[in-house]
Amino acid sequence: MTTIVSELSMHDLNNKFFEIMQNESNAEDAANFIYESVYEDVALGFLFEFHHGLKTGLTDLIEGEKEDDEGCKMVVSPECDVFGFSVLKKTPDSNCSCPNCERPVSATRFAPHLEKCMGMGRNSSRIASRRIASNSREPTSYAGILSDDEDDADWSGSSMQSERRKRRIRNNNNRKSNKMHNGNRNNNGHHNSDSNDGATYETMSANEKKNLLQQMCGVVSEHTKKLCTRSTRCPQHTEEQRRALRNTVLEPSTPESQTLLTADDAGSPPDSSPSSSCSSSSRKRDRHRGLKNKSKRERNMSPNARD
Amino acid sequence: MTVNNTIAHQRLILSGDRERFKELLRKRLIECGWRDQVRMLCRDVVRENESNNISFDMLVTRVTPRARAAVPDTVKKELLQKIKTHLLTQKDQ
Repeated sequence: MTTIVSELSMHDLNNKFFEIMQNESNAEDAANFIYESVYEDVALGFLFEFHHGLKTGLTDLIEGEKEDDEGCKMVVSPECDVFGFSVLKKTPDSNCSCPNCERPVSATRFAPHLEKCMGMGRNSSRIASRRIASNSREPTSYAGILSDDEDDADWSGSSMQSERRKRRIRNNNNRKSNKMHNGNRNNNGHHNSDSNDGATYETMSANEKKNLLQQMCGVVSEHTKKLCTRSTRCPQHTEEQRRALRNTVLEPSTPESQTLLTADDAGSPPDSSPSSSCSSSSRKRDRHRGLKNKSKRERNMSPNARD
Repeated sequence: MTVNNTIAHQRLILSGDRERFKELLRKRLIECGWRDQVRMLCRDVVRENESNNISFDMLVTRVTPRARAAVPDTVKKELLQKIKTHLLTQKDQ
């Protein structure tokens, strides 16, 4: 600041400057001049920047690759698509012929066609396996799939029909019991009835009920209205349920069947009981019931004795 | 006249205020997009004569006239106004 290399000293410059600035037009002039000078500097600065980028390759790196104009030309012709490929239809050798019906099927539709034509595929195999399973289950299971007329026991209004059905059921059960318990048949003298799965207790005779209940749980399900076909110790139902059911079912039986019952109960030793699977508790229960029935019989007989 | 302008300019440089104005103008020109416009002009020039290696002088002579015209009036007026008021408000120390 102290040394100014010009003919004007710092002091002179200041003096001159304030002298000039007295006139406003001079100031405006000077402002224009200074602006032009500053603008030149700035513009040159930008140009230098760009030129530097151009020469060192920075501009190309920043802006990236130039687009190839020739690469994406659209082809306009009726036989080709926009890329110039032919759009003629594919030859029909992509079709397969169905081995079942000999019809040519498109390859994309071949699997669905086979499914329909030959009964293969997921759904149909599922149906088939279900059918097989139900067929194999029917003869052995107690609570298996029942035919329609066996199912609607409530509907049996006419006695003739119910008679017929009872006979039929009994025959069925005979066959079954012959197959299954061929040795243990000393329990009932003249009645051959065995477990009756589909029907309710209303359609059975007293002896049938008794034999049935000796072999299985027999509690009526709330939902399916069917009898429980498990053993007498089945864990699904409680002893109370079984006892209550036996009480309600066997109570309104006729005196004749009661005598039969008690006779059977008394006559058969515990070891030769028809239900070898029966537990001792159920046997006890049976005996208890027998006692009760006996007392009832005495009550029934007492008027006769008085007479 | 030229002497007067030089005197004012010289004094501005000495006080260091010229740098301030230059920085302000640079900022304004970037803000208003003028720099990008000038870049586009430069790229056009480069693409026009791609064959021969373009020199900086060539770039300046081609680009400067158009670049000067592209400066927004508001920026120019603001700068002029600020410089003028700065010059007029200088006090004698």
